[in-house]
Order: sequence, then structure tokens, then C-alpha cells
Amino acid sequence: MTIRRVFIANRGEIAVRIIRACQGLGIESVLAVSEADRDSLGARIADRAVCVGPASATESYLIAKNMVAAAVGTDCDALHPGYGFLAESPDLAQLCADNGVTFVGPSPEQIRRMGNKIEARRLAEEFDIPTLPGSTRVGSYEEASAVVAETGLPVMIKAAAGGGGKGMRIVTGTGQLRDEFARAASEAGAAFGDSTLYVEKFIANARHVEVQVLADSHGNVIHLGERDCSLQRRHQKMVEEAPAPNLPEALRDKIREAAVRLASRFGYRNAGTVEFILDQDEGRFYFLEMNTRIQVEHPVTEMITGIDLVEEQFRVAAGKTLRFAQDDIVFRGHAIECRVNAEMPEEGFRPSPGRISVWQPPQAPYIRLDSHCHEGYLVPMFYDSMIAKLIVYGTDRAEAIDRMTRAIDRFHIEGPATTLAFQKRLICEPAFRDGTMNTGLVDRMLAGNREGKQP
Amino acid sequence: MTSKFDTLSEADIARIGQLVEALDKSGFDYLTLELADFRITVGTGAAVPDGVAAAPPSPAAPVAAKAPVSAAPQATAPAAGAAPAPAAEPVEEGLVDVVATTMGRFYSRPDPKSDPFVTVGSEVTPESSVGLIEVMKLFNAVTAGVTGTVAQICVEDAQFVEYGQVLCRIRPSA
Repeated sequence: MTIRRVFIANRGEIAVRIIRACQGLGIESVLAVSEADRDSLGARIADRAVCVGPASATESYLIAKNMVAAAVGTDCDALHPGYGFLAESPDLAQLCADNGVTFVGPSPEQIRRMGNKIEARRLAEEFDIPTLPGSTRVGSYEEASAVVAETGLPVMIKAAAGGGGKGMRIVTGTGQLRDEFARAASEAGAAFGDSTLYVEKFIANARHVEVQVLADSHGNVIHLGERDCSLQRRHQKMVEEAPAPNLPEALRDKIREAAVRLASRFGYRNAGTVEFILDQDEGRFYFLEMNTRIQVEHPVTEMITGIDLVEEQFRVAAGKTLRFAQDDIVFRGHAIECRVNAEMPEEGFRPSPGRISVWQPPQAPYIRLDSHCHEGYLVPMFYDSMIAKLIVYGTDRAEAIDRMTRAIDRFHIEGPATTLAFQKRLICEPAFRDGTMNTGLVDRMLAGNREGKQP
Repeated sequence: MTSKFDTLSEADIARIGQLVEALDKSGFDYLTLELADFRITVGTGAAVPDGVAAAPPSPAAPVAAKAPVSAAPQATAPAAGAAPAPAAEPVEEGLVDVVATTMGRFYSRPDPKSDPFVTVGSEVTPESSVGLIEVMKLFNAVTAGVTGTVAQICVEDAQFVEYGQVLCRIRPSA
């Protein structure tokens, strides 16, 4: 089977990224656009753009049946969901299958099972991959208290239904458990309509390490190394890098092997990411979740492996055998990515949409910019605030950090406020430079700011 | 309206409301506000002189639905891309556009054996169906929304239409 024309059910930088991969492969592209995106860069460079609905995502990019109807209506033989929106919707994948459209991703069943946190955890346990102690659903303070008796403190309480940091609390003392439980339950109820919570062991000195896997439909699974995404603000990634720094080689191998084992035993197909939390004090890692799609931070992996992940997604979706065996993958150098958001860090990262009056990205060898923005572009208020991904490559980590610092200095944007200056401070933090950061670094820096001292 | 109009914020809309109020209190017939790449004209009903009126709404992005995307490689791609909408035939003054309320396949008749809902010259009321749009076997009726006569039909039977695409134009009854 060959893919001749693909429908792209997404917007922004990833739509542009996917269209460029199509151009590289000689595949035609049809892009879904909302009314607000008719004039977007993606719409201009795609072979065709189709207006699928009004600006609001719930009436356009989030309607699976419209996306598939538009794909069928424009004679597309495949659909790429990108990330976010419907990328992890089993319904979209199923509708594609029902209508003879190749979904560029795993099967609906695989999306459904990995999307269910309890099922994903059960699968990991079945394949002998460590999971965090605790992690049981609790509906009452008494149940939570019983879990804490087993795992010990501190624990993290989080919404069973959601993500994005809502309903998440860390409890360090027994006395706080009752109050924090009540607050987390009410936050979870308000945000997700389900106040069920998880209680799990909280790792104070944690890093977020994730492994990129690539699998074909013939049972071949390889990994493309890991990424470190420990710089997060309220569980939203801000800076990512590959490979993960300061990781004992034996541990690195174990993490990579665990990810391949999970994907392989699960029979996974397409590109995926297995996320782990790494306890730096104990030198242990635990399975968090598997994302069954291309990820925002995939470019850092591409930079150090030389493999175009989106192109490979198309190849395996078309039924082709992986072009690489594990031994063919060569890791070289170091890459860092900053997610440039149109936000005001000094005002609690409030979104700052608006017209871009000046857009002068840095240009040099080893700098890559994935973006849909340009001078004159109006950053719409309807969607997320990411306007670009600035990626640099260096022969080693120190060089990559220096390059990123200078690249940020030379990135001139006027109009919306951006997170770039904040990210420059982040990567200049001694803990980041040394590679000894943990997932609490960003919040600690922000807390330091509030107390009026420059961390 | 144009895509720029679609990105007005609540605050912008409130400001436009203030403009309308200000105009109402003044002795002027209309007011045109022009910013870098945004223009709005607010009027009291008297015709706005030619050349001052806001640009007509740009039709939905590429309309040639059934025409397959060029099979030739990249060289021809940009032309087929999201270029400005094809030059529409001149639109007669005073016609009301009936636009697609969803994207999907447009059907001009209730079933293949029947006559079309409307043809040029058909009399319609606001509730009259002018066609059906099918999305995944779900048929949505599109109504005229105005009393008048069908002046133009802009799409073909079984054509894939985009959200907001003009399906037909109606000359309202006086």
C-alpha cells in the first residue's frame, strides 16, 4: 500500500512540520483549517486547505467525524492527527478504519488501552516494568490514608481523570492529608467532572525521562534514545533535551530496554513515547504513561539520530518494514529544544495572543525552528499559546546550551510577549548546566521570584 | 466576513459596539475606521460610497472541491494550495448568501430521483430547504433564512463543500 494524499487533522507548527514531511516524501497534503486558520502558513503550503468549521476547536479540530468526512471528501487515503486535539482519540482512529482511511498511528484498540491510566499501568506491570508504589484510585480520605500507610510520605495526590497539573497536590505530613485530599477532590471534580483521585509515592528528586520508540506492523521495535524533559512548569514541559544528561550508562540501557519491551510485548505500531519518572536519589525509574502519537519534543531526537520521525511514521503506516535495526541507530551530539509560548512569565504565564509585528528568528547551522509564525501573523486566542520550537544542536551538551543561549538572544519577536527570556534563565541555572536539575527547578525559580530574589 | 474578522476578541466586539453608539449620537451617515490591516465601516443605512465600503467577504478557501489535487509533484503544488479564493463571478448587489453550516457533501435534492430543492428562480421562505449537507451519513438541511427568489446556485450536486462556503444566493423580496 502506498500513501498518495494525506489529510492533516491539526494546525500550528505541527501541521507545517507534517506538510514538510509529505513534501519530502512526494505525498500530497490536505490541511484541515478552522475559519481562524484559513490564512495560516500551513494553509498556504499545503496542496489544499479545507475549512472544517468555525474558530472554536470544539466546533472544528475536535470533531472526529468531520475530520474523517473531510478526508474522504477530498480523496485522501491517510490521515495524520499530529499531537493534541484528536491525536489520542480512539474514535478518530476507528472512524478512519471504518472509512478506509489509513490512520498514521497505532490501532484504535492500542490508543484506547494506553489512554486508560489503570490499564496502562496494569500492562506495564504485566511486562515487568516498575510502576510507582501507590497509584491506586481512591474515593475517600480513609482509602487515601490506607494507601499512605503502605507507601509512606511524601505522596502525590492527583486527579484520576485528568492531566495538566489540575487537582495535583503533594502531601508531606500526615496532618495535611485530610485537607489536601478534600481540596484535590474538589479541584478534580470542578476540572474533570470526576473527583476520583490517585495517591502515589512522591519522588522529591525526580527527573522526567522518556524513550522514543518506533515500531512497524511486522513486529520490529526499536528505540531512538531518550529525552529529558525535567524543566516543567505545573507539569507542562518548557525545555527538552536529548540524550538525558548525567545518567549512569547501565541505567540508561535499562530504561531504553524497558520502553522497547513495553512496545514490543504490547504489539505497538508507529511512533510512540514511553514516559518514566526517574528517582535520582535511588537510581530507580518508574513507568508513567505511554503516548501513542508524535510528541512536541520529537525534534531533539531527530537532531541526534538524523532520523525524520514523521517520515518514518508515514512509512510504517503504509505497512513498510522499518528501515533501521537497533544497531543502525547512531547517537551523536546533543540537542535542546525550547517551547516558545506567547505568554507573559511575569504575569503567571498569562497567554499573550496578538499580531506579530517583528519576527526575526536566529539563523545558523545547527539551529532549527519549527514554527507556523511569521511577521504579520495574528496569534489567535482560540488555541494553545505555543508559537515556535527553537531547537539547537551541539557536539556536546555544553556547546548546545551555549548555542541556545545565543540563539535566544538573537531571536527578535515583537507583538506578543514570549517565554524565551525566562527559558534563557532556566538553561543558565547552575543546576541545569550541571545536569543535576529535577522536576521542581522551574517552580522553585518562580517561587524565588515571588520572594523578590533572583535565584 | 474575512478571516481577520473571525479573530476579533470580545473586547474588540465591545469596542465596535461603542463605535456604533458614537455614530448613532453623531450627525454622520457612516464611519470608517482603518488600522494597519483592518478596516471596519459602520453606517446608518444610507449607502456607503463605492471604494469606501469594506471589502466583500472572501469566499471560503479553495472551492474547487471535486477537482483532485494535482498529481504532479511539488512544482505545481503552490498553485493548488490555499491560494486566495478563485475569482468569483461578480456578485449582484443586494443578494443574500446562503452558506454551508458544516463541511460535508452537498446534495441539491432530497433523494436521487427527486427534483432539486431549489433552482434559479425558485421562490423561498426562511424555512425553505435549499439542500442537504451530509457528514458521515448524517444529513443536515440548509435553509434559505430569508424570503425571496433564488438568484444563483454556486455548488453542484454531490460536491464536497467547506464550512462557510456559499451554496446559493437569494434576492430578497422587497
